Amino acid sequence: MIAQTDTIVAVSTPPGRSGIGVIRLSGPGSLSILRQLVASDSFDPQPNLLTLRTLIDPVTSERLDQALVCYFKAPHSFTGEDVVELHCHGSPILLRAIVDAALRLDARMADPGEFSLRAVANGRLNLTEAEAIRDLIDAHTDAALRQATRQMKGEISDRLQPVKDQLLQIIVRLESSLEFVEDDLPNVVHDNVFASLTSLQSDLEKLAKTFSRGKLLRDGIRVTLIGRPNVGKSSVFNRLLGRGRAIVTDIPGTTRDTISESIGLDGVPLVLTDTAGLRTAGDQIESIGVDRTKREAADSDLLIVVIDGSEPLSDEDHSVLSEVAGRRHIIAVNKRDLPTFSETRIDHDSLSFQNFDSVVSISAVTEAGLQDLRSAILKPFMNRNGAAEGLLITNARHYDLLRRTIDAIISSADLLKTRASEELILVGLHDALRYLGEITGETTSDEILGRIFSTFCIGK
Amino acid sequence: MVFDEVFDVIVIGGGHAGCEAASAAARLGANTALVTINLDLIGQMSCNPAIGGIGKGHLVREIDALGGIMGRVIDRTGIQFRLLNRSRGPAVRAPRAQADRALYRIEMRRTLEATPNLSLRQGVVTNLVIEKKRAIGIELQDARRIGAKSTVIATGTFLNGRIHTGRQTYQGGRAGEPASIEFADALKRMGFNVGRLKTGTPPRLDGRTVDWDSFERQPPDERPTPFSFSTEAINQEQLDCFIGFTNESVHEAIRKNLHESPLYSGQITSIGPRYCPSIEDKVVKFPDKTRHQLFIEPEGYGTNEVYLNGFSTSLPAQLQQQLVSLMPGFEEAQIIRPGYAIEYDFVDPKQLTPFLETAAVKGLFLAGQINGTTGYEEAACQGLIAGINAGLNSLGRDFFRLDRREAYIGVLIDDLITNGVDEPYRMFTSRSECRLALRHDNADQRLEPYGRDLGLVGEGEWERFNQRRNRLAQLRDVLKQTKLRRGEERHRDLCRLIGQDLGDSLTLAQLALRPGISLDHVMELLPSSVRAGTAVKDFETVLADNLYAGYLETQTATTRRLHQHDTLRIPSGFAFDLVGSLSHEIVERLQRARPENFGQARRIPGMTPAALSNLLFHLKARQTHPATA
Repeated sequence: MIAQTDTIVAVSTPPGRSGIGVIRLSGPGSLSILRQLVASDSFDPQPNLLTLRTLIDPVTSERLDQALVCYFKAPHSFTGEDVVELHCHGSPILLRAIVDAALRLDARMADPGEFSLRAVANGRLNLTEAEAIRDLIDAHTDAALRQATRQMKGEISDRLQPVKDQLLQIIVRLESSLEFVEDDLPNVVHDNVFASLTSLQSDLEKLAKTFSRGKLLRDGIRVTLIGRPNVGKSSVFNRLLGRGRAIVTDIPGTTRDTISESIGLDGVPLVLTDTAGLRTAGDQIESIGVDRTKREAADSDLLIVVIDGSEPLSDEDHSVLSEVAGRRHIIAVNKRDLPTFSETRIDHDSLSFQNFDSVVSISAVTEAGLQDLRSAILKPFMNRNGAAEGLLITNARHYDLLRRTIDAIISSADLLKTRASEELILVGLHDALRYLGEITGETTSDEILGRIFSTFCIGK
Repeated sequence: MVFDEVFDVIVIGGGHAGCEAASAAARLGANTALVTINLDLIGQMSCNPAIGGIGKGHLVREIDALGGIMGRVIDRTGIQFRLLNRSRGPAVRAPRAQADRALYRIEMRRTLEATPNLSLRQGVVTNLVIEKKRAIGIELQDARRIGAKSTVIATGTFLNGRIHTGRQTYQGGRAGEPASIEFADALKRMGFNVGRLKTGTPPRLDGRTVDWDSFERQPPDERPTPFSFSTEAINQEQLDCFIGFTNESVHEAIRKNLHESPLYSGQITSIGPRYCPSIEDKVVKFPDKTRHQLFIEPEGYGTNEVYLNGFSTSLPAQLQQQLVSLMPGFEEAQIIRPGYAIEYDFVDPKQLTPFLETAAVKGLFLAGQINGTTGYEEAACQGLIAGINAGLNSLGRDFFRLDRREAYIGVLIDDLITNGVDEPYRMFTSRSECRLALRHDNADQRLEPYGRDLGLVGEGEWERFNQRRNRLAQLRDVLKQTKLRRGEERHRDLCRLIGQDLGDSLTLAQLALRPGISLDHVMELLPSSVRAGTAVKDFETVLADNLYAGYLETQTATTRRLHQHDTLRIPSGFAFDLVGSLSHEIVERLQRARPENFGQARRIPGMTPAALSNLLFHLKARQTHPATA
């Protein structure tokens, strides 16, 4: 039995869109986090029973989701600890938001296989079961390892190494002033240390900020084609896919249900979805399709509004456009091959309130303008300089560790301001080093001493 | 095998490790013999005549709390006491003292001679007698044989010692003393993995030839801080030390003569301590430094000899004399004893258990420099642990060990046996993960109950310990219960003093944490009945506990996740190669280090997070379901 542990959180259903997504919390803080998520300190759920509750973002007080929540009291749970399960709607973006809320309530992102590890540790799994799960974890670790090595070889270590070096330099400075008090060392100038800490913090903040975009790239950008019926959404879908996946006819409303396909666009993973045209539905099946379209649109990272450029804009076009106002979208003016096509169907002035990223003229028949469309899709997710993606934090565990590193550095900087003694300031700095070490590998006290001796002439 | 004499415990070596080992074993009740080459040099300080410092001072306080003798001996023979890091927090303060080298030796011998069950024997040990993988005695050069159930080897730099000054080199354990050559060969024959290290010492000067006015005076503390919890006050006269500096002309002369240095001519290849570099090393490695600091330390009350700390060198003796004369104040100075470098054998400490017993030979314990450490304090604390366990072994009692989280001694031994050494190992506070908890002033609270259980802490000391424990508990209560409220005069004064509002009401414990509030401010707010009977020393301890309590809690929470599995045992002979998905390199590292628990495995250099989680998973599964594992 592990005497005391922290509380971990993770989405336990497979990644991607599904009907229901389950988020699991395990650890002594589970119930308290649940109470904060349902915004009720007195919420006292009966163990093992599902209850319908509204989940609230504890910081913004925003409503997150209506969910079935269930509390399993230790030791009668999968892990043997207090466990809370949140059965939410299956949108990845929604699940992400709820996990983020739990992290802010002091849960920690679970390591791969950590729920099972806790179950084994608490005697809730026998060895055969454990071995079976271990195989899964190994598979998981392999994937994680592949990703980790890629990141280690490439950007993450390149980017974190100087940050870690800078941190080590400060630690070396303060440590040597403590340990070698009789040696002839340069004085520690508190203002300089403070400036170094501040610059360290802003470097890390920059890195941490790439997390949401980074995560998008890992899970795939969800791009959804919408528009009124018969503007050529399915043709555009097939063109982007490079094959005839969706059935295309001249009959408006051919696409009754949403179709999703994964594609790579310049190496960036994309989940592209074709939807039923939005209009007042003609029959019940189509009406269901329209509902689905709206739901799909709500989950997307980017919408492509397709418009028929050979005809004047209809009321339905306008209603689609107003529905997407305020969401990230681009406008594809289709049917450039037709003689009646006019690019100016979109009156930029009248749409100036719209927050679209770009307008592209295309022809799904001749493929004209398709390359422009591809660039326009990626553009909102590229770095400002338009060059290849810089280092993005794609791993929630890395993000969690970066946040903890930043918090630890801030606490040290605060202490420095109050002129606290070095051994107290160093507590946060060593914590920060440990957190970074969980990404880049541990720094031993011997390495720190090694740096001290190569930096300063120490010793009688 | 016929023995001339039989004891429970034999300790080989009369240095700082050997003295603690012999004293501890004898006081546990084991009939003990200390065997040394020269009985007149028991407790000799081979290098600088000083004890303590940051990290090292912590060790001495821990030795004392456990019932060791180093703290008491230095308290009686110290000629300059200083508490270091006074301006820093209490966790990183530590006592240091210059010793009268001769008095220290005499006092140490007197202490040992006054110890019941302890016999001193002079002789050169040439061989160990081993029967069925068990140490059963020793053989001496003069053909005597002594038997014992347990043997502690604490031979310092004497094993295969070789001294260098310039191109001159000769066998020796210390200047003027023979090395232990046959015994070193015997250890190698037994199959121990033996390596070689180097250390050095500076020249000693005739104090009458030094112009003292040329140097900065470094006075002792006005109120000396003793090392031993049983010492009430230091009463002997206190002396000044002096600070000086090298200069560019000295550096230039060293650079010109580097070919004369055995360190740079290739004559010495073994590794010395980086934190105790020779003056040659300092000049070469830090060419931009225009001066290096020197401490000019008296060797004692009754001698003119002074120790030139910071000028450790193995350059030829005549050259040392020329270099010294290049410094203002030393123009006329004469060297009494030249500095030298010494190379010696050490036994890879990874072959030891946490009890400092060798894994290969039962009843054989190693302590001190033979395990790759440097420093009197590092040696003494190992001597204490080895002596305790040798005694316990002979008496048929359970072994004793300390954890990393409760003592620097635990950190030191764990580091040694887990990672081994590639340079002489010295203690630093940063080696501990729990620096804030391991203070010099609370060593008694942490460790004295162990010393009592073992039988090393006598009635009087135990009484003193309990009284202090009660006083500390009472003070803690008073700090939590006494409040300072708005409207009181002192409330107003203190707000003004620190330029901040203190709120309507706060306890003294809370007040003490405010920046700008000193011990005196809090002390004067104690109820007068309490204040009268409160010693500053006790109050400092309670305030230090109060200062760090919050940090220790958070720190525990932070490290808990990383360290929560540290005590998980790894069975001996555990088949690391059968843990799936560990690379060959990782398996090799684990097999070499033979970690006893997950914490040790975690600290092996080069372990990856992935490998550790795999190992952990395997251990956990095995622990929970041992039958099927």
